[in-house]
Parts: sequence; structure tokens; C-alpha cells
Amino acid sequence: MKKIMFILFLVIAFSITAQVDRSKMPDAGPAPEINIGDYESFELDNGLKVFVVENNKLPRVVFSLILHREPIMENENIGYISIAGQLLRTGTTTRPKDQLDEEVDYIGGTLSTSSTSVYAYSLKKHSEKILELMADVVLNPAFNKDELDKLKKQTISGIKAGEDEPGAIAANVRKALLYGKDHPYGEIQTVETTESVSLDMCKDYYNTYFHPNIAYMAVVGDITKDEAEELVTKYFSKWEKKDVPKPEYKEVKKPLVRKVAMVDRDNSVQSTISITYPIDLKVYTDEAIKARVMNYLLGGGASGELFQVLREEKGYTYGAYSSTNADRLIGNFTASCDARNEVTDSAVAAFIDVMTKFKSEKVSEEKLQAAKNYLTGSFSRSLESPQTVANFALNIARYNLPKDYYKTYLQKLNAVTADEVQGLAKKYVKPDKAHVLVVGKAGEVAGSLKRFSTSGKVDYYDIYGNKYDPSVSKIPAGVTVETVTDNYINAIGGKENIEKVKDKVSVIKGAVQGMEMKITISQKAPNKLFQELDAGMMKQSTIFDGTKGKQIAMGKEVQLEGNDLLETKLEATMNLFLDYKKHGITAELVGMDKVNGNDAYKVVLTLPNNNTWTQLYDVNSRLLVKQLSTKQAPQGTFTVAIEFDDYREVEGVKYPYKFSQTVGPQSMEMEVESIVVNSGLDDSMFEVK
Amino acid sequence: MKKTSIILFLIFTLAINLSSQQREIEFEEYDLENGLHVILHQDDSTPIVAVSVFYHVGSKNEQADRTGFAHFFEHLMFEGTKNIPTGEYHKIVSSNGGANNATTDFDRTYYYEILPSNQLALGLWLESERMLHLKIDSTGVETQRKVVKEERKQRLDNRPYGSLLEETFKRAYLKHPYNWTPIGSTQYIDMATIDEFNDFYKHFYVPNNAVLTISGDIDIDEAKELIEQYFADIPKGTEEIKYPNITEPAKTEEVRDTVYDNVQLPMVLMSYPIPSKTNSESYAIDMLTTLLSGGQSARIYKQLVDKEQKAVFAGSVPLALEDSGQFIVYAISNMGVDGMDLEKSLQAEIDKVKSELIPDREFQKLQNQIESRITNSNSTVAGLAGALPSYYVFYGGTDLINQELEKYLSVTREDIKNVANKYLESNGRVVLYYLPKSEEKL
Repeated sequence: MKKIMFILFLVIAFSITAQVDRSKMPDAGPAPEINIGDYESFELDNGLKVFVVENNKLPRVVFSLILHREPIMENENIGYISIAGQLLRTGTTTRPKDQLDEEVDYIGGTLSTSSTSVYAYSLKKHSEKILELMADVVLNPAFNKDELDKLKKQTISGIKAGEDEPGAIAANVRKALLYGKDHPYGEIQTVETTESVSLDMCKDYYNTYFHPNIAYMAVVGDITKDEAEELVTKYFSKWEKKDVPKPEYKEVKKPLVRKVAMVDRDNSVQSTISITYPIDLKVYTDEAIKARVMNYLLGGGASGELFQVLREEKGYTYGAYSSTNADRLIGNFTASCDARNEVTDSAVAAFIDVMTKFKSEKVSEEKLQAAKNYLTGSFSRSLESPQTVANFALNIARYNLPKDYYKTYLQKLNAVTADEVQGLAKKYVKPDKAHVLVVGKAGEVAGSLKRFSTSGKVDYYDIYGNKYDPSVSKIPAGVTVETVTDNYINAIGGKENIEKVKDKVSVIKGAVQGMEMKITISQKAPNKLFQELDAGMMKQSTIFDGTKGKQIAMGKEVQLEGNDLLETKLEATMNLFLDYKKHGITAELVGMDKVNGNDAYKVVLTLPNNNTWTQLYDVNSRLLVKQLSTKQAPQGTFTVAIEFDDYREVEGVKYPYKFSQTVGPQSMEMEVESIVVNSGLDDSMFEVK
Repeated sequence: MKKTSIILFLIFTLAINLSSQQREIEFEEYDLENGLHVILHQDDSTPIVAVSVFYHVGSKNEQADRTGFAHFFEHLMFEGTKNIPTGEYHKIVSSNGGANNATTDFDRTYYYEILPSNQLALGLWLESERMLHLKIDSTGVETQRKVVKEERKQRLDNRPYGSLLEETFKRAYLKHPYNWTPIGSTQYIDMATIDEFNDFYKHFYVPNNAVLTISGDIDIDEAKELIEQYFADIPKGTEEIKYPNITEPAKTEEVRDTVYDNVQLPMVLMSYPIPSKTNSESYAIDMLTTLLSGGQSARIYKQLVDKEQKAVFAGSVPLALEDSGQFIVYAISNMGVDGMDLEKSLQAEIDKVKSELIPDREFQKLQNQIESRITNSNSTVAGLAGALPSYYVFYGGTDLINQELEKYLSVTREDIKNVANKYLESNGRVVLYYLPKSEEKL
């Protein structure tokens, strides 16, 4: 048969040899009629409104239930509402979770729940079974404590995972900037708020809001209205109605100037940029339809001005978009992209330029028509899914829209003029009264962002939208003095290798004020020391035998006593850091600091004589990079700072090969010439007579 | 002929399961003289049409020192042609009410437009223009070079676990070009030249290496006429098209490694080599995946997430490619759960399916899940525009799209146990741990 078809085809092909003119874009055929499918509806006595869209293309049925309620403040228990929604899916009074899971999967179905919706799908032949399971979940949830704990644990893990996701961080901080934390849209869930969620809160939410009088159900697929009515009545008429509360909200504050908000994510190679602010645009209004046209032209897709400039012209990003979101309470405008660190400021500048230009220039008729065509096409593509028709019906009912709202949608869309677009741009596009939020590596990008801030200042926020002063660095969660010390031990080779070192001879060379010097330090476990400084004319040595010590300088011997003896003993002790306690030292992680521009943990060691040594451990390499100590001298007290660099491995343990020591205005660079370990040093060299 | 096959098919499935029958997807297909294969599927339920071109070229056709090349080239296909000014491609589609995009994977590159049904000619003009007349200039190449590098950063470098596939495949394949993933490496993206792009276009972007599919509200005869007008004069490629002919040697020893990434929760991944997607055992392998991770009652999910609560997520996915594939089992741990502990639990589930036959009811559940999935698949015209050529090229027959359910239902419990034993073999696998950078021992 295939062969016959081919021959036939050739014959046809022969008869139409007319060459097509490729240089011309083909004309469109007559526009097809766009029909929105029909729906039917009914209401149960308890107030549940049901909308049925029959579509027999595939033998399947979807039941979806939506609760229409106002947003709720959760205060210190943020997350309990969403957890309550998920809890519904974890078992009913007669079906433990295992059984529920198995029954859903056994028929190849899907059942999912949230705080305001329940969704169920199955093949037509299993549709009664899936509806029975759905009703059981809605009417008889078990609210089991173990399941709550499980959900909390998973949620907390999810929150932790999101802490490394730049998109998730941006979404959080945007909420805080846009609405403030005292608005239901601005609340951010954290580990702490999740931990506070109790079973009573979840039950209370369910008892207050899960009622049929605020519920709408869509039934879509291979099912008639009569079949749907029979099934829904059978399973949902026992659901009891009850009045639900309607809360009031605080008014959202809009930015009056341009502000720059920075979230420092140190390992970022790209910045996640958002330009965002709240707008008063109500959902399902004629203005919302016009705003869609406006937004499409600015940044709705690959043809939008933002994409064309930021990606196609400049190559700053993989994609730049905007959204103008209408909402029942308060909407928002957000333009965003991800751009590499080096062009972060250029990308922000480009956003502002494009937005400014967009307000001042009227869109051409050609571009406007193109936008209308795109949005018309996108509307008709959405009609392929029967679920779209059901959503239309639900929206008309939920928001009291005119019955023909969607039937006249394309008409309204196509009536929008260029003047109207510009009017809306002036009203809703505000590059000068916006939050510029950048999630990225502050060390590389923050400086160049100051110029976009009206006040010239960059505000820093943590990943949960709390403002902080970056000059007072915070210690990241989970980091303690023990982790810093353990990481250091591992970084230089691990405890096992360190303990293998029984003695060590280091030869160090350096120069101070043109004078060459050589220092030889011999150490033997546990705490013997012989240190010799040779600067040609000047020689000096320190010896410590484990209990007593002396210093020899220019032929004069001094026995070490008091603080000098104690600190020499500590300096002589090999691997002090393996057990601070044993040596009477308390170690404390006091904060963060920078060493040569890199973040470092600041650890203070308090010695038995109450003197302190401050040590700085690099956050990334975990190595000790700097140490500060205070010395008493006849001239007064002064601070000695030593920086360590160029760690190299000697028999499994890493040692710094470069030092730079600063004492007041003087600094000295030193380099290790050699380190020899376990050469079997004789005790006699450490004798103090 | 079609009618007979439907009847035969009905009889066959009736014998197995009284109520399971797959919806027949009707289509016509033929070749143009230049070797372009054409598939037509008519569906007038919505006034839209999807036009797609499927080129049989992907990252496996790249040189090892030009990884990311096929995907980079895909970006250039949107630049401009002799008759389409540079930068206008997207605009023409959207301003005519359409949507379009493209994807590149290991084995193929796929382009599509979804248009109002009165714009079929436009779709054909656009696709035929870039098959015949693509213009590659340095401005376009340099802009897209930056864009592609940003894409890599966004998808891989700046995203937790983003490098998962790259890290797995570079260890799973040492000889075969599946060694790298379609996004490629920045180093080689930087090295690609215009001449190389032109050669690549001439070699792979020819009608005899492509399938044109039209799916949606069309008149079949009119569509054929338009196809003839726009595609018949595109010359057939003159070079013999090169596909890698390399068999990855079987590993005799497990590869085990750790990746330190910007993640908070450890992840454990075990990747096992499986045969090409066209292998008859693929159906059993796929059902094995459903057993392990399809739905909340599935074994790995139930055990690791629900019961032991060791994981926030656990599942498996068979990545069956044209030449061979990888069966990946993975889990992301709950806060404070050690990766080794997670691995032990995953291994226990693997051992169980290897040693015990699936109980009857669970097996019936699998069959029901597969039936439900197949009924739901291919429900959009755009989805079909992608699925049909894939069956034609990879499976050697477009009609196999209608035999899926039958093939799945012929898999037995023993088959599933057998493939588990044959392929989930510890010696041949790659085990990867993703750990937070803070745990890295320097």
C-alpha cells in the first residue's frame, strides 16, 4: 500500500510543478474560527459548585477541586497552611497512607492535595474509584502525628536545599522586598517557623476552611454531566458547609526611589537579577488584558525588547523577561535575568535603559499587531487542553466575571491601541521606583551596583530577606569552633598523619631592613624547642626542654619566667590544636573577617594567663592564614601579626612555606628553605642548663 | 491495510487484558526524492498545527575537542537565512501567533513551530529556509557563543546538582562520545569556528538526515502540495553521514567517586549501563523503573522517603539512548542523613528486585500504571510532532508508536527480575556522591 501511495503522490506532485517564491514570506490562509468548548454545571445542596467539560478524545477523567479563600497571615508558624494541605494526602480515618498510596497507584491514578486544592486523575474505567479516594481524603483526613513529623522533616530538608539555589533565594527575598513580612504574600518559611508547626494548627486550618460552600470542582474528560452529577453527589453530599472568615490586610508600601538589594552568594558565577515593585493591577479586569499586551512587548518572550537587547544584542544572558502580574489583592512587576558576574552591572543598566525607553516611545503598529497575533495564538493553543475550558468556567464563577468574559477575550485583546499601551507603560513600568535585587557574589559585583541606588547605597539581605550590615559579618549556621578546627586538621593532612610527626626541623630565610636572616626551628614532641636566629652580626636562640627555658642573645643568657615561660611552652608544644583543653586554652569562634579579601573564620584562643591569640582560618581552604598575638615589651604592648601562605606537604602534613610578619610598621617576608621531619633529634640539643 | 492492523491489534490485546486498548494514532508517511522523510498526522480538534524537523545529529556526533558544538549550532539555526533577515526568525513565528523552540540531545536535534492552522505554509517556509539557506556570520556566532556559555552557567555551574549528568557520563563512558553531555565544555565552545559550523551544516543538515513532521488541523493533500513546493528542491547531501561506531567496553570494576558541589544535602547516585533504547528488553527495564519509583507506593520512594525517612527524594530513571544507555538510581538525603546510609537502603531495594519475583497485585499495578501513562501520552499535537519522528528514526518504524501498550503488556514478572539481574550489576556501575563543599578534605 505504501508503494501505491508513493506513485499516486508522484503523479500529484508532477501536476503542480509551479515554483514557489522563496523570497516572500507566505501569506496566511483564512483565519480559523476559535471556539471555546462548552461546559455544564450543577450545585450540591451543601454549596459545592461543579463544572463539567466533556471531552471524549481520550478515555480519562480529571476531578479538580479548588477552595476560594482569602490569603492568610501565618505569623511565627509560616508553613503550617501548606503542611496542612499536604497532610490530607497522608491517610484517612479508614485508609492509612500505605494503603491510600497503593490504591491510587493500583489503578494507575494520581491524587494530590494542597492547602487550597485537590487533584485526581484516572482512566475513565477507574473514575469512580479515584473519586471515592478523593472524597475520603477531603472528608476524613487522619491528621496523624507521625505523618506531620515526616512532612516537617522533608520540608526542612527542602528549605536547606533551597539555600544553595539562587532562584529560590531570589524568590524569597523578592517577597520580602515587595510586600514586607507583615503581609501574607511577604511571609517566608524558615526552618524555625516549620519546626513550630503543630497538628492542632493543621486541624484548625482544615476545620475552618475545608468546606463545600467555598469550593469549586471541575470535572473534565470522558464523562457526561449526568454521570458526573451522580458520582459527585454520591461522594461529596455529606461534606458539611460552614461560614469561613475573611481577613483584612495591611497596605503594601511601594518603593519611592530606586533601591539596590544584594544577597551575597559567595560561590556564584552568575548573578540572578530582578527589578521588582508592587503594582495596583486587579486580576481579570479589562486593564489586565491590556497589561498583558504591554508586558509581552516589553519582556514577554523572545521577541520582547528585554530579550532582544540583553540576549540577542549584548549576549549578557541566556534569557531576559518581564512579568506584569495582576492579583486580587496586590500585583507586581518583575523583570529578571541571570547574567555572569562581569556584566552584572551592565545588565542592570540595560534593564533600566530598555524600561525607560519603552515608556517614552510609542510602540509601532506593526509590533503591536505582532503582539496581538502572538497572544491570540497562545490563547487558542491553550484551548487544546480541555482543562483550560474548565479553568475558564471556574474563574467566571469564583471572580463573578461576566459570563462572556472569555468569549470576548480575543475581541478585547485585539482592540488595544498603541496609545493605551504607552499609557499602561507609564503607569506600570517604573525603573526609577523599583527594587533592584541581585543574588550573586557581592565581592565581585556589589561595588558596581551602587550607582543604580538613588541613595548611592547597597542594602544587604540574608537569604531569608532580613536586612543586615555586611561590615558585621555573620557566622554561617552550623559552623562552630570545633568544625573550624577539625576542618583545619583535615586540611593539613588529618590527625593520623599529624601525630606521626615526632620531630621537625624548619629552616626559614627572610630579610628585614636589608638584613638577611636565617631561622632554624627544631621541635620534638611533645614540647621541646630549640630556635636559632642568625642575622650575621646578631644571633639569638631560645631553648625549652619541656619545663624550663632560656633565651640567649648577644652572649647574654636569660632564664624564662612567668608569661614568657608559659607562652614559650605553648609555642614549643607540637600540634596544640589537637587538644586545646589539655593545655588550659579555651578556643572560641567569635566572627568572620577578611584576609586579603577572602572570608575567614576568626578564632580567639585564651591562654591560661588570659592573654589571647587570634587566629584566622580561610573559609575555602580551611587553612590557618593569619595569627595575631600581643607581646609585652619594655616599650609597651604591641601586636605581632603573621600571615601564612603557600602550604606544602611534607610526609603527609601541610606546612606554610611563606610567612609575612608585621610588627607595628615593620614587616618581614620569610620563606621556608626546608622542613625535615622525624630525623630522630637527640634530647641533648634541648637541654637547658 | 490500516484497518486490518487495528482489528488484529484488538484481538491481540483482548487476549491479554480485556479492557486495555491503546488509542490508534493515525498517520501517513513517505520520502521525498532528496531523502527527506515526511510524517503527517491529522487532528482537527483545535485549529493549530505543529511543524517539526528532526535532524539525526546530536552531541555524540561531535569531536572530543569540540564538545557542545551541536547545541551551539542549534542556536545558530535561529539567526537568519538567505530570505529571512538576521534576528527575525523568532519574531516571524511569534508575530504570526506561533510558538517555537529547539532542543539538542545526545542523538538528535529537534526544531518545531506551533502555529495557527492557517499558517502551515509559513512553518514550512521557515523550516525549509534554514535547511536550504542558513547564513552563519561572525556577529551571530560571537553573540550566541556568549549566550550558550550563559546557558551552561545557568543550567550547570550555578545550580545545585546541575552537573549530575555530566559527572555521571564522563565516568560511565570512556570511549564512546556519550562521554560528554550536549551542553559541552566552555573551553571547546570558545574554540568553535565559522568554517567548522559550515562543514557541520553541509554534512548533517541535509534532507536525507532529517524528518519533517506535521501534526494538527491540516488538509493532508494541501499539506503534501506545500511540502513539495518548499522542500523538494533542497539538494540531497553529497557526503556519507558519519555516526560514531564505537562500543563502550563493559566495565569490570565499579567506579566510585565524590563530587563536592554547592549543595546542602548529600546525594547518592548509582548509574548502570543498559542497552540501546531499541533493545527489546527496554520495556522490561522501563517497568522496572516504574516498580522502583512510579508513584508514592513505588518501592524506593516508599522505603527511603516514607518509611525510613532517609531521603527527601528518591527515584530511578532509565536514560536509554540510541547507542546504549544508563539506568540511574538516586536519592537526596534528608538533613543529617549520611550518604552511605542512603546507599545501603538503595542497594537493599535493588537486591530485593533481583532476588524476589514481584507479587501478583504489584505486577498488576505496574501494568495499570503503564496503561494509564500510555493513554495520557501523545495527547497534544506538539507532543506527537516530537514522538512520531523519534519512532521512525530510532525504532525503525513510525507505527511502533501504536504498539507500545502491547509490548509492555507482554513483559512478564520474570522478565523484570531478569533485566534487574542482568543490568543492575555492581561491577559495571558508576557510584557518585554529591557532597557539600564544606565537607571537602583539602
